[in-house]
Amino acid sequence: MYIQNPIHMLWSRAGTAANYVMLGVFSLAALYPLWYVIVSSFSSSRAITAGEVSLWPVEFNAQAYLRLFDDGQLFVAMGNTIVVTLVGTLLNMVLTTLAAYPLSRKRLQGRNFLLMFIIFTMLFTTGIIPNFILVKSLGLMNSYWALWLPALLSTYNMFVMKTFMEGLPDEIEESAAIDGAGDWRILLQIILPLCKPIMAALSLFYAVGWWNSYFNVLLYITQSNLQTLTLKLYQMILQVNQSLLNNGTGSEGVDQIMLTPEGIKAAAIVIAVTPILILYPFLQKHFVKGVLIGSVKG
Amino acid sequence: MKDQRSTFRHRFILDRHLYLMLLPVILFYFVFKYAPMVGEIIAFKDYRLGDGIFGSPWVGFKHFESLFGSIDFWRVLRNTLVLNVYSLVFGFPVPIVLALLLNEVRKEWYKRTVQNLLYLPHFISWVILGGIFIAILSPSTGIVNTVLVNVFGIEPIYFMADSRWWPVAYTVSGIWREAGWGTILYLAAMASIDPQLYEAAKIDGASKLRQMWHITLPGIRSTIAILLVLRMGSMLDVGLEQTLILQNQSVLDVADVISTYVYRVGLQNMSYSYTTALGLFQSLVSFILVVSVNRLTRAFGERGLW
Repeated sequence: MYIQNPIHMLWSRAGTAANYVMLGVFSLAALYPLWYVIVSSFSSSRAITAGEVSLWPVEFNAQAYLRLFDDGQLFVAMGNTIVVTLVGTLLNMVLTTLAAYPLSRKRLQGRNFLLMFIIFTMLFTTGIIPNFILVKSLGLMNSYWALWLPALLSTYNMFVMKTFMEGLPDEIEESAAIDGAGDWRILLQIILPLCKPIMAALSLFYAVGWWNSYFNVLLYITQSNLQTLTLKLYQMILQVNQSLLNNGTGSEGVDQIMLTPEGIKAAAIVIAVTPILILYPFLQKHFVKGVLIGSVKG
Repeated sequence: MKDQRSTFRHRFILDRHLYLMLLPVILFYFVFKYAPMVGEIIAFKDYRLGDGIFGSPWVGFKHFESLFGSIDFWRVLRNTLVLNVYSLVFGFPVPIVLALLLNEVRKEWYKRTVQNLLYLPHFISWVILGGIFIAILSPSTGIVNTVLVNVFGIEPIYFMADSRWWPVAYTVSGIWREAGWGTILYLAAMASIDPQLYEAAKIDGASKLRQMWHITLPGIRSTIAILLVLRMGSMLDVGLEQTLILQNQSVLDVADVISTYVYRVGLQNMSYSYTTALGLFQSLVSFILVVSVNRLTRAFGERGLW
């Protein structure tokens, strides 16, 4: 053991305390904006407009939620988002597996050529317009296939899964092959059960991506009964930007009527974010695992 | 020679199920990755909907010439670079500092709680984060301006509508969403540093700060290098969803970047060929950046991306 100078010790204690406090402040900063919308969604429009809402709901009420539920459109959008997310994730996982498994087999002939063929699409990405023209000419406008098909798999996630599969011991597969199992059987009954952790992580990555995406919906979905939650929110928020622009041009009266009240917007945001918040504690460890596997290059 | 060919065919037949699995995958890459690359040729044509990609007339470099001659092009290129440089300079070190702080926390429950809270914004859509951000910064109702006005007696600041403040708000919102998430790789790298190094340093009387400086930071150097290099490769790529939700007409002079410009002018005004030329320019520069940055990584003795 070594003897520590008491002044040193005092300093290091103070340093530790400062560290804990700082991290606490940072985490509250990460959390506060969310807290703010929750609080706003339960406050009166008057209190929000007057800037009185900060830490607790002012003039507590659930009017915003009631009005959203009355509207009903939000439920349609929520249902659409769920469909887009579930089907999208399922398709992603099927395609990712179909790509990752064969490409993880070193014996596969032409493997290097196929890998180059795929990696090139990571390096040279195409712009918005050619993709848009393609989707349009395939007749996919106003269909969720316009969202799903161009995003059937993410090359990056596919490589994460391929790396994971390469890490599995070869003997398992060999003994199954000797027992007469074909490639499909080996994949479904032997490899996939071993891939559970990475499957969990990747399907969560995909699902959160689908849940959160709005740009592709903005491009390809114009029918209002097909719109998703994020697109609805995008339109609500766009109104604020418009009103910023029109400020002082004398047209406030008109805008006031068209504008979605802050409280309703806050409530819509809360509804959109709740599923993620509920699932979050369960998802978190899978995500971290996924990132770590992804960072180990094969 | 003949022997080789026959073994090739033999093994192809043996592995036919693997190739069968790859069939939809290859089809996907052809249709949705390579076909749009072919579609880029409309940058050299006057694309007309009725004539299609191949029927439209060739015009050579006309669109590139008008692109490089336009003020808009230089404006969006500048904005793209400026916003990227801001995010790099101010955003890149934040997760490293956070990871250093987190690494010193000995109480597991506290560390886990902080981490969970810091990761959270990463999982929330830009639409939602943007909406929250705009609400908080609003000059009339936002909490930030309420504090500024009531506590400091400053005039309310139009953060989202003022060209001087918008880039700040943009950068901060990016840091807010991704900084915590960015700590994961650094923390993993820190966890693999040999604890004996710290023991030795302690016996030599090194303070916590000195240990950070002489052991932790060198220990994660290669992680920092790789992530920095990766980041450099996407200098012409500004997050489309983030920018689109945060920008508005009054700040377009600083907030309009290549991708939002392509979306606005290309799709909403239907100037397909002109904006495809811009997109192609972006793709080419990004391609060159990524490839040369990978060369550079390998030249420095780090493992490259391929």
